[in-house]
Amino acid sequence: MFENIDKMKREPAGTLPEFERRKFLKLGFVVTGVLAGGGLLSLVSTVEKSFASSGLFLEQYPYKPHYSMVIRQNLCIDCELCVAACNETNQVPSYGYRTTILERTVPHAVGRQTEFIPMLCMQCNDPPCVRACPTRASYKDRKNGIVMMENKKCIGCKACMVACPYNARYFSEEIHAIDKCDFCFVTRLSKGEKLTACSVACPTGARTFGDLADPAGKIYRMIHQLEAQVWTIRPKAGTKPNVFYMKG
Amino acid sequence: MRKMLLISPLAVLLSLALCYAAFSAPGKSSGPGDVIYTEPLMAVIFSHADHLKKGMVCSSCHPGLFEMKALAVQERDDFTMASLYQGKYCGACHTGNLAFASDSQCARCHIGVKGYNRLQEKK
Repeated sequence: MFENIDKMKREPAGTLPEFERRKFLKLGFVVTGVLAGGGLLSLVSTVEKSFASSGLFLEQYPYKPHYSMVIRQNLCIDCELCVAACNETNQVPSYGYRTTILERTVPHAVGRQTEFIPMLCMQCNDPPCVRACPTRASYKDRKNGIVMMENKKCIGCKACMVACPYNARYFSEEIHAIDKCDFCFVTRLSKGEKLTACSVACPTGARTFGDLADPAGKIYRMIHQLEAQVWTIRPKAGTKPNVFYMKG
Repeated sequence: MRKMLLISPLAVLLSLALCYAAFSAPGKSSGPGDVIYTEPLMAVIFSHADHLKKGMVCSSCHPGLFEMKALAVQERDDFTMASLYQGKYCGACHTGNLAFASDSQCARCHIGVKGYNRLQEKK
């Protein structure tokens, strides 16, 4: 098919359908971070260089504070002190979980062959669980963007569990409602604490919690740099997670 | 003092004998088995076989860096990553020159709760 590529007639840009061209332009915006909030963000900091004012740039974080977590994946050693701290803080029953550690093995890798991946609710900007909930028991907090549960409204239909691409929810027999990670909002943040139980418990610093909308904050500085690649889990689900992953 | 003088060669002999026993025992040519540390956190694997393959001998670590008794070291308060970075314990070799640095490739030694449970199931 490509044997005669030299002989093929060149297609001028003008023949591109309008839709395709617009799609391409949009893609450019995503890469430079204007429409980001999920997906690959490693090129985002070019925006700061492109626009003298950071006003436009900051608009993409609609919450104040915009709670977020950065997970430095290579630092996780699966000691599960985070899981223990979470379970204790949030009264998670033995059969449930708010955060878990996934394990990935690459048998032919040189040196280290195992990778641990901490998982929790991604506090998506576009949460499928909230869309799926028929009673609005699951909702996105308008102030800080945390995906919350109003237990008394939950009818236990588990539609949100099916909708969640991250398997971040479980049904709690104790409270007779779906339970999930709320960045420790009920147990810690609302009581004046600044950090989640898991990020405090982590001995290696694999979990960094903070405000993504604060340019002076740790999280903001970790995410917006060219040097490190930052990614989210299942970006194609279109959920725009607020939990970011990186190495280093 | 004289007692000490008498004891120390005995101790050396004994450790040599232990070492010899470990190697001459049938099916144990790779040295003693794996050591699984569970303190100060879950869980770290040390493979005697892997280290012997790299040309190390008993006296490379015993009794200078580690006591002969397995897991005795994890009773100590300073058996931490911070000590390793200062060249203690595993950190004597795991500097980045002799062996991969202690502050890299975490999950190469840290097998975690999952790795620990898997090994328990095997037993």
